[in-house]
Parts: sequence; C-alpha cells; structure tokens
Amino acid sequence: MLIGAESVLSALVDGVLIGSIYSLIAMGLALIWGIMDVINFAQGDYMMLGAFLTYWLYVLAGIDPLLSIPLSFATVFVMGVITQKAVIDRILDAPMVSQITATFAVLLIIRYGAEVVFGPYTRRLTVSYLSEVLRFGPIVVPMNRLVAFLVSIVVTAVLFLFLKMTYTGIALRAVSQNREAAYLMGINVSRMYWIAFGIGVGISAIGGTLLATFYPIHPEMAAFFTLLAFIIVVFGGFGSVFGAYISGIIIGVTESVSALFISPTLKDVVAFLLFIIVILVKPTGLFGKEQ
Amino acid sequence: MNLLINAIRKNLNYLILVSVILLIAPAAFMKLNLPFPANALFLCLMYAIMAMAWNLLAGYGGQLSIGHAVFFGVGAYTTMILMLYYQVTPWVGIFVGGFVAAITGLALGIPLFRLRSHWFTLATIAVGEIFKLVFITWEWVGGSRGLQPPIAKSDWEALYFIQYAGPYVYVYIALGVLALELLVLYLVVNSKIGFYLQAIREDEDAAMSLGVNPFNYKMVAMFISAFFTGMGGGLYTIRFRFVDPFAVFDLITISVYITVAGIVGGIYSFIGPVVGSFVFVPVSEYVRAQIVSRFPRFYGLHVFVLGVLLLIISLIAPDGIMGWLEKKGVVKRRVAIPVEEVE
Repeated sequence: MLIGAESVLSALVDGVLIGSIYSLIAMGLALIWGIMDVINFAQGDYMMLGAFLTYWLYVLAGIDPLLSIPLSFATVFVMGVITQKAVIDRILDAPMVSQITATFAVLLIIRYGAEVVFGPYTRRLTVSYLSEVLRFGPIVVPMNRLVAFLVSIVVTAVLFLFLKMTYTGIALRAVSQNREAAYLMGINVSRMYWIAFGIGVGISAIGGTLLATFYPIHPEMAAFFTLLAFIIVVFGGFGSVFGAYISGIIIGVTESVSALFISPTLKDVVAFLLFIIVILVKPTGLFGKEQ
Repeated sequence: MNLLINAIRKNLNYLILVSVILLIAPAAFMKLNLPFPANALFLCLMYAIMAMAWNLLAGYGGQLSIGHAVFFGVGAYTTMILMLYYQVTPWVGIFVGGFVAAITGLALGIPLFRLRSHWFTLATIAVGEIFKLVFITWEWVGGSRGLQPPIAKSDWEALYFIQYAGPYVYVYIALGVLALELLVLYLVVNSKIGFYLQAIREDEDAAMSLGVNPFNYKMVAMFISAFFTGMGGGLYTIRFRFVDPFAVFDLITISVYITVAGIVGGIYSFIGPVVGSFVFVPVSEYVRAQIVSRFPRFYGLHVFVLGVLLLIISLIAPDGIMGWLEKKGVVKRRVAIPVEEVE
C-alpha cells in the first residue's frame, strides 16, 4: 500500500480540525476535574444537548448555527448549574464509588432522556455557506470544519483571558490549587463550584454546536466523545485546561493518521491504547505538574 | 467447610423458602405459558451472577470496574466458538468460557492493578471499548455480523447444544451457576482472602506495611470475578443463540448494568448485588417490554428509568438497599463498610 505525501498532509489537517472540537469538550472536563476533583462522566452529553439546541434553533427559528453559540453556551450553563446544585454538591465529599455512580446516573438521565424526547433518530444539519469546500493546492478543507477550528481558538483564548485576568477566573484557579486556603482567603468556594461546572459543560455545548454543522446528530452521539475527552484530559495532564487543548489536537491527529495507516475502525483502538500507556507511564500527563 | 455448614444451618429457613420458590417458579411459568416473567427471572439471575462476581472486586477489594463487559463478552464468544467451530457442548463450553475470561482477567490485571481508584475505573472503560473494536474487526469471530449456532435437529442435539424453546430450561441452568457461585464466593470472602481484600480497600499502603501483597490478592479476586462473569456470558450465548460485539461488549447494557445492580443492592453486603439485580432488572424489563417494545419512538425509556434509580440510590442510600436495611436494623451487618463512611 502506497500512501502519498498529499494524503498524509490532508490527514494531518483533518486531525487538527477535528481535534479542536475534541479539545472543547475536554477543556470543560479538565476545568471541572481540576477545580472540584469530580469526574464528570456526563460531559459529552452536555455537548449533545448543545448540538440538539443548535439543530432546533436552525430548523424552527432559522437561527444560524454560529449565532446560536452564545445561546447554546448560556442554556447549557444554566443546566450545568442546576446539575451542580442538585447532584454534584451532594457528592463532593462522598466516597469515590458514589461520585462515579452519581455522574454516571446523570449521563444515563441526560442521554436516554434526550432519546425519549427527541426519538432514536439521526438528524443532519445542512447550512449552505458552511457546506462549501476550500482548496489549498492538494488539500481540501471543508468550510464547516475550518469555522469550527477558528471558533475553538477564539473560545480557548476567551477562557484563557477569563482565567488569567478576571477576579472570578483567578479565584477559580486558586480553588483548584488549594480548596481550604482559597476558602480562608475569603473566596466563596461553593459559588466557584457552580460557576466552574456551568462553564465546563457550557464550553462542551459550544463544541456540540460546532459539531452539529458537520456530524450526524443523535441522542447517543456523546458515547464516543466522552471517552475521547477522558483520554485527552489524562494525556494533557489532569486538570490542565490548556494542556487539554493541545492534547486534543494531538489525539485528533493521531486518530486521522492511524485511520490512514492502520484502518478507520481501529483508529480509536490506537487512542485508547495510548491512554492506558499514558496513565501507566506518566499519570500526570504531558503538561501536568508533578504532585 | 464448617463455616459453610454453620452459615447454612443459621439461615436454613430462608434458604429453603427461596430455593423452593425459585425451583417452582420456572415450572409454574411454563405450565401457565408466561414467557415474560420467566425471561425476566433469567435476566435477574444472569445479572445477579455477574454483579456478585463484580462485587468481589468492587465492594470487597475497592476496585471499581466499569469494564466487566470484557469478561462477559470473552465468555460468550468462547462458548459460541467452541460450539460452532469445534462442536463442543456448552455444558463444558460455559466453564471453558469462564476459564478463558479468567485468564483474560489475569492478563489485564497485570497493567490495570498498577492503577488506583478512579484511574483504574477509567482504564477498565477504555479496555472494554478496545475489546469491542477489536472483535468488530476480527473476521474469524464473525466481525460485526456476529455468530449464530446451527439449529439442533434431534432431541439428543437439543440436549447437547442446550437448545430449548422459551426461557424455562435456562432459568434452571442459571440457578445452578448462581448456587455454585454463591458457594465459592461465600468461602472466599470468609477466608483470609476476603479480609485481605477489605484491608486493601481501606488502606492499600497500610495493608502492604502489614505484609499483605495487594497485587496478589487483587489478582486472585480478578480471577474469580472474571471467571463467573465469563460464565454469565456463556449463559447469554446458550439463551439467546446469537453473539455480536455490539451486544456483548456494550458499555451501558453490560458494564454499567452490572454496576447498577451492585450499587442498588449494596456493594458492602454479601447478597446485595443479587438483591439489586432482582430490583432493577424487573423494573427495566417491564418498561422495555410494556412501553418501549410497543412504542419504539420511546426507545431509551428503560435506561432513563435506571438512571433515575441509580441517582436516587447514589444520593440517598449510597450503601444500597441492603446497606439501608442494615442501618434500619432490619438485617444484621456482616461485611464491614468503609471507614470513611462511618459518621
């Protein structure tokens, strides 16, 4: 089998573009994990909610998917805050088993609740100007993926500025470094928790909105993305938000290149194996601090 | 052995009552032609077998696996392949399936048991997905199409390949497997292995400093746990006569359902997972058969109901139904609950 340099190059571009979507879901997971020390197994399902919201806004009200980004973020932010108040708050100090089973219960409720409401159907969203294709020499770049990539950079930059420049952002980072010390410095820790959870799932919903422009929308679409998000967060160093962005792109590239060289079905096996190897060899990840 | 005889003597009345009910029920269902409750009973027993096995690792050893579909799938495929390619009777195949699953468990345990708490859980999920993807692409085992055994042509073949109409016969076989498993597990958890596992769950470093090798005892628990989960897979093969990677390696309907059974019943109780299975399977099966089958538009409702059940239990009674009954003083506590949970 001969694989030309051109197809390798397009695989690289493809990987970077899809990886930026993975990153959005994973950054939210990393934020929640870092600040609350809770693993949110339902992370991908908030992404699915964002995708459905975008779909219905476009179909029913004709709202452009790009304009629905703030709406998608805001709606899922509120749902995240409700989840945090109703469920996560009660399990923060619970044993590990209860934490895992409670967020798994949230996963089952959102995923299959959405399936009951929307029906077990696959939907597609086609927007004419997003369906165009750009050509750069031998490399073909679909418009929708390029837009998704650019938006993910903007979202990451905004998140970066928020965490570095604003009082709330600095307080969030303080809580993630040391919960007790932050509390003693007068930071309202429980307020930081619901903000973190809301933002964490809200970013994931933006990923869903972008994904909706080129990926089939289905209530169970999150299964695969949640697993990838875990791989990315662990790979990037747990709790490291920007490590998650970079490693999302690395995982995206790994997948598209292994799809080219091995087989499209086994590309995920490569990512999962990489995950197990990373937690065995360097559990703090590529960009994580040694503890 | 004395331990076992004592335990049986102490609970003789309950044991006789439950055994008589379980032995008569399938025959009664067959006489009255009620396949639905008989099928639900079979699924209760199948999930009880797997959840009991899972709980040796999760409840006693503190190693929460959400990847037990691996052992279920390996057991199911081994039984099927032996039957289909080598004409080996499933009467033997189910045990071989359990054994192959147990060996798989040992092989996976070598890397996985280097991980602690949620890292272990995350890795088991990833391993489950790897097995599913590999079996989808592996043509020798049927790939994504799955495998189906030939249809028995005579009474003798029906007995040899265990092919009978309806769920009734399979309920008795599952009862036999569960009885064997309860016997083995009762002896294991009341031997030093059971106490060492609980010590490891409480504080791995402390256990190590007292001369308990955590790795060795986790491997023993993994072997037994994977063995009986694999036998559960063999039961699935003979009952449903169709094995495909999407069904047997499914994260939700196998790995998560086993966890739900354990959590609902109570993982810090010997019999908890059985109780959990007999609570959650009938609920889920009833919703599936009565609502989802009639109105396919509402597919997913049976899993949604489980999510609600799991959430309520996780928030209100994290020690499950048996833990709650123990707290109320209805049932005597036999297994130590983790120190961090004692107020």
